[in-house]
Amino acid sequence: MKAFTRNLMLGAALSMSALVATPSFAAEEKTQPILGITSSALEEFGGREGVRAWVESLFYYIMLDNRIAPIFREFGNVERQTFLNTQLEIMVLGGPNEYQGASMSAAHADLGITMAQFNAVVEAAYNACERNVIKYHTCNQLINALAPFTADIVTR
Amino acid sequence: MKGSKGSGTRWIKGLAFAALSMVSSHSWAGLYDDGKVFLTGGVFTVDGAGGGGAVPWATITGYETRDGINGGVGFTYVQLPNYSLNFLGGSIGFFDRFELSYVNTKLSTNLGNVDTVALVASVLNVDNNLGLDPNGSNLHMETYGAKLRLFGDAVYTSDSYLPQTAIGAFYKVNSTKEFVKTLSAAEDKDWEAYMAFTKVFFRYSTLVNLTVRYTSANQIGLTGFGSCDNGHRNCNNDKEFRVEFSTAYLLQKNFAIGGEYQQHGNQQKNKPVDTGDLLAGDGNGGLLNPIVGGLVGGVIGATNLRDSLVQNESDWYDVFAAYAPSKNYSITIAYLFLGDIAVAREQNGLYLSLHATF
Repeated sequence: MKAFTRNLMLGAALSMSALVATPSFAAEEKTQPILGITSSALEEFGGREGVRAWVESLFYYIMLDNRIAPIFREFGNVERQTFLNTQLEIMVLGGPNEYQGASMSAAHADLGITMAQFNAVVEAAYNACERNVIKYHTCNQLINALAPFTADIVTR
Repeated sequence: MKGSKGSGTRWIKGLAFAALSMVSSHSWAGLYDDGKVFLTGGVFTVDGAGGGGAVPWATITGYETRDGINGGVGFTYVQLPNYSLNFLGGSIGFFDRFELSYVNTKLSTNLGNVDTVALVASVLNVDNNLGLDPNGSNLHMETYGAKLRLFGDAVYTSDSYLPQTAIGAFYKVNSTKEFVKTLSAAEDKDWEAYMAFTKVFFRYSTLVNLTVRYTSANQIGLTGFGSCDNGHRNCNNDKEFRVEFSTAYLLQKNFAIGGEYQQHGNQQKNKPVDTGDLLAGDGNGGLLNPIVGGLVGGVIGATNLRDSLVQNESDWYDVFAAYAPSKNYSITIAYLFLGDIAVAREQNGLYLSLHATF
């Protein structure tokens, strides 16, 4: 009886924490690209460290691009962006969902991002792949997994 | 009177200036856009529309996004055993939604048998309006195109199988009317319509396109539309649905290799070149027989010449490589397998295309 009560309380506590945690902790879900992505994508990116290095290259190229650098300078803390993007990219590449940032739509809602600005980030993403010697085909697995966020990010 | 004429000119000048300044400073600066990702507008097709080499895609030409306008000019040169072709034109994409295109196409022939007919016709001074030139006959066509994107997204909705879908139409005007008539076509100008479906499968770095075209074109309209029996009788210009397929594998972000298939009709199959009474099928080869016999030393008679002028048409295939060193230009090299074109067999050859985008 005692064990049953404890289990019940634990269950209730768990489900409550799940209720609270869903929006604040894991606020973005893994995307479901058609045909999936290659199962070795995260490994081919160089694992967690590789993704982190890629994200650093990504922001290097973003901050060099006059079309988009001002947005990141004004609204984004690049260090924090690098941290959160590493989590996001690890998740969409098939790793665990440890993403602690806001949902893509919430994070970009007020920025009025245009398609051209979004595509400028895509160009930076490909440049980062080349810089980090990640194969084009592997890079496309990430593009594949991130593309469904387009509608959430581009609001203008 | 003089005063009113002057004010009229001034009024036109003012209007022109207003239009110019509108285009150059205000709206143009705001509407110019080259934000699209590499090669996703397609390259310059032989019909002018954005797509592969021969097949129009559902993507809108140019590097504009939904917020602007972009476009370019294209030039394509094709060298086949018996023909060479030039395509010169341009296309503009509006808001990644709508596209307008124009192409001026010239086909030069290098056909001994057709030249012989032309030579004999001119020697005999028989003015049958064949539209042939003893020094090599040319075909000339202008193509006007429009395309509207309906729904779907080829690139961004990678979590949906819904392809980018567009409808389009061409109006093709062949200005070498006599030649086209000689080739037994029913019409020298006509429209065609198509629906295209395009999807990029990032998983495999591959673009796939399916197009269905409603047309009666012979050799994309270069040899006219539909067909007639000799003497321009029993003409038939009924349109039909034809399938076109195109795929491109991206080796890197600005370099693609791929292949295409384009179904063609075969309305001019076995139709001889319509030379009127020059090559009448009465056994002795009509007017030409004694002449040709004399000209070529009797090795072939007019009957043989007539048999060599029988036409055929094949489906088109090609393999290509497209390279976009920057967003301002792309180069496409292809090898074409065009099969039988009019009176010439097995026309395979090289295709070189340049597309400059602004």
